[in-house]
Amino acid sequence: MTNFVGVDHFNIDELLTEEQKLIRNTVRRFVDEEVMPIIKDAFEAGRFPKELIPKIAALGLLGATLKEYGGAGIDSISYGLAMQELERGDTAIRSFCSVQNGLVIYPIYTFGSKEQKDYWLPKLMRGEAVGCFGLTEPEHGSDPGAMDTVAERDGDSFVLNGVKSWITNATLADVAVVWAKLDGVVRGFLVEKGTPGFTAVKIEHKMSARASDTGELYLNNCRIPKENMLPGAEGLRAPLMCLNQGRYAIAWGAIGAAMACYTEVVEYAKQRIQFDKPIASFQLVQEKLADMLTEITKAQLLCLRLGQLRDAGTIKPAQISLAKRNNVAMALQIARMARDLLGANGITLDYQTIRHMLNLESVYTLEGTHHIQTLILGQDITGISAFK
Amino acid sequence: MKVLVCIKRVPDTGGGFKLTSDNMRVDTTNVGFAISPHEECAVEEAIRIIEKHGGSSTVLTLGPQAAQEQLREAIAKGITSAILLEAEDYEFWDPAATAHAIAETVKPLGFDILLFGNESADTCNYQVGLRVAHLLDLPCVTGIKALEIQDGKALAKRETKDGWEVYEVALPAVFTVKEGINTPRHPSLRGIMSAKKVPIEQKKVTKPAPQLVRKALKKPQEGRHLEILGQGVDAVPKIIEKLREVGAI
Ligand SMILES: Cc1cc2nc3c(=O)[nH]c(=O)nc-3n(C[C@H](O)[C@H](O)[C@H](O)COP(=O)(O)OP(=O)(O)OC[C@H]3O[C@@H](n4cnc5c(N)ncnc54)[C@H](O)[C@@H]3O)c2cc1C
Repeated sequence: MTNFVGVDHFNIDELLTEEQKLIRNTVRRFVDEEVMPIIKDAFEAGRFPKELIPKIAALGLLGATLKEYGGAGIDSISYGLAMQELERGDTAIRSFCSVQNGLVIYPIYTFGSKEQKDYWLPKLMRGEAVGCFGLTEPEHGSDPGAMDTVAERDGDSFVLNGVKSWITNATLADVAVVWAKLDGVVRGFLVEKGTPGFTAVKIEHKMSARASDTGELYLNNCRIPKENMLPGAEGLRAPLMCLNQGRYAIAWGAIGAAMACYTEVVEYAKQRIQFDKPIASFQLVQEKLADMLTEITKAQLLCLRLGQLRDAGTIKPAQISLAKRNNVAMALQIARMARDLLGANGITLDYQTIRHMLNLESVYTLEGTHHIQTLILGQDITGISAFK
Repeated sequence: MKVLVCIKRVPDTGGGFKLTSDNMRVDTTNVGFAISPHEECAVEEAIRIIEKHGGSSTVLTLGPQAAQEQLREAIAKGITSAILLEAEDYEFWDPAATAHAIAETVKPLGFDILLFGNESADTCNYQVGLRVAHLLDLPCVTGIKALEIQDGKALAKRETKDGWEVYEVALPAVFTVKEGINTPRHPSLRGIMSAKKVPIEQKKVTKPAPQLVRKALKKPQEGRHLEILGQGVDAVPKIIEKLREVGAI
């Protein structure tokens, strides 16, 4: 297969630094060489390609934005570009990384004790340990504040009870960041694989994010040492801060998925002959391609600015929500249009588009659904919460 | 051990490419650049030699300021230092001129091993490494796919149709490397961030009167050829014949 060259209609590359480009190109190549040859089969088999974890870690993608604990300390735009490239490969690969980074390394780094950080961060960043983030429950998705999972203090331990659902990396994870209520207040707990009363079960029969490890976490009188609570995380704000990390990564990742569909369908449309002409020569087709390129370009510029705001430290959650909302919706739209233009071929995994189209259905829902991002924006605009 | 590796910045066209309207250059608008593939393997080989035998490695390119991008990529992977022979018009340098500038620069630097790509991905002249060896009066093995260093000597292997040619050469020596000698590593993000801080030695070079002058480029026809060779087992002999014809077997 030929190497991916990306989409850059507005010469955005000219706005990137040398390192940003090199990081993007490195991840791009990694995806071409390591992800593309296996992803179709992994998706079909419903298997997360675990064999990639050491390679992802060797690249330095885990904990990449940290300067401590051996992290490369890359800037937000570089990180975003890396997520874009990973999701151009598949949502599963981007999710693996952005969960490990934004939902596991980030909360341990931000809310953890020195002992927790020293113990977990090096392992997580070297890919020797995998983490997951347990917020969603079978009965509570968009409204995690209503969670049923509880923690009770018992001597030198906490005892956890509850079920977490739709958890990325669940069965792979060596450590779960579990959110539970202690005396009515949301707190974060580190639960290690193998702890009695803790089990992770894979969710089968997904038709989206099939190459991602998604599962349920069962906490049944699960007793953990009291040192395993994240001391700095108190209240729902803590997991929501994590979600903002994840949403940032998704806003970029969606561009990658959209680019994969767009570039695939442009090539196809130029070669597919109907009525004695390439289908690319029909106005209805060209209009769709023009719409796709326009939306990708807008999304790229949005993310570039979002990255600058993040590095400046002035980013607001509503800005991340705007980008996640816009970019995932545009990517899903592009994937559907591209699927249409691929005709019957578009329903097979021999083309990437349908895989991305299916994956994006998950991305539309996870880390705050499209509606929820809308309500966050609505509240930001009006000052009035419409959640309840 | 001191190892030099020479690389070229080439357009990363990902398959298709366009020419500029005057047909003199590949149109690089919206096109990224990369280290030419054989040279990427040469970079990897240089890093492995130093990892195994100790010493230092230097990457050199004759190219524009923008070629710092490729030099830094090599440093990010593990090369120790870099030299840029700055020539914004590098696309119009012929192999003799390029070899001359390189030989002059590296002569006083005392490298034990000088690595080149067998040919660059854009112009494919197959000449620069060989010419540098000639100018420095060093032995040269071209198109190698294996290299081992032992007791001040190098064993270089070149693949032939029926097996391997093995050369034993005293160092210093020049080798031109072919893709397949190794699998180049990806730079790590940490490597990329620290490569930023490595200073690049720069020297302006001017193009001598060229021996080879580019008149124009012509893009080969992108014709697709479809031929039905028959059906079922009956087609087998014809398929074999075709595969032979295109050199696949
Ligand atoms: C592949 C995948 C991976 C995931 N990974 C993780 C993970 O690692 N960790 C984790 O904790 N969770 C994870 N999730 C869960 C995800 O965050 C939730 O699915 C999401 O928050 C939505 O919750 P829900 O599915 O319960 O939907 P619900 O909250 O039940 O929503 C159903 C519908 O109702 C709408 N809705 C709900 N409330 C409102 C409202 N107030 N106004 C308007 N519309 C509303 C929603 O927008 C949606 O359209 C993952 C999900 C998927 C699909």
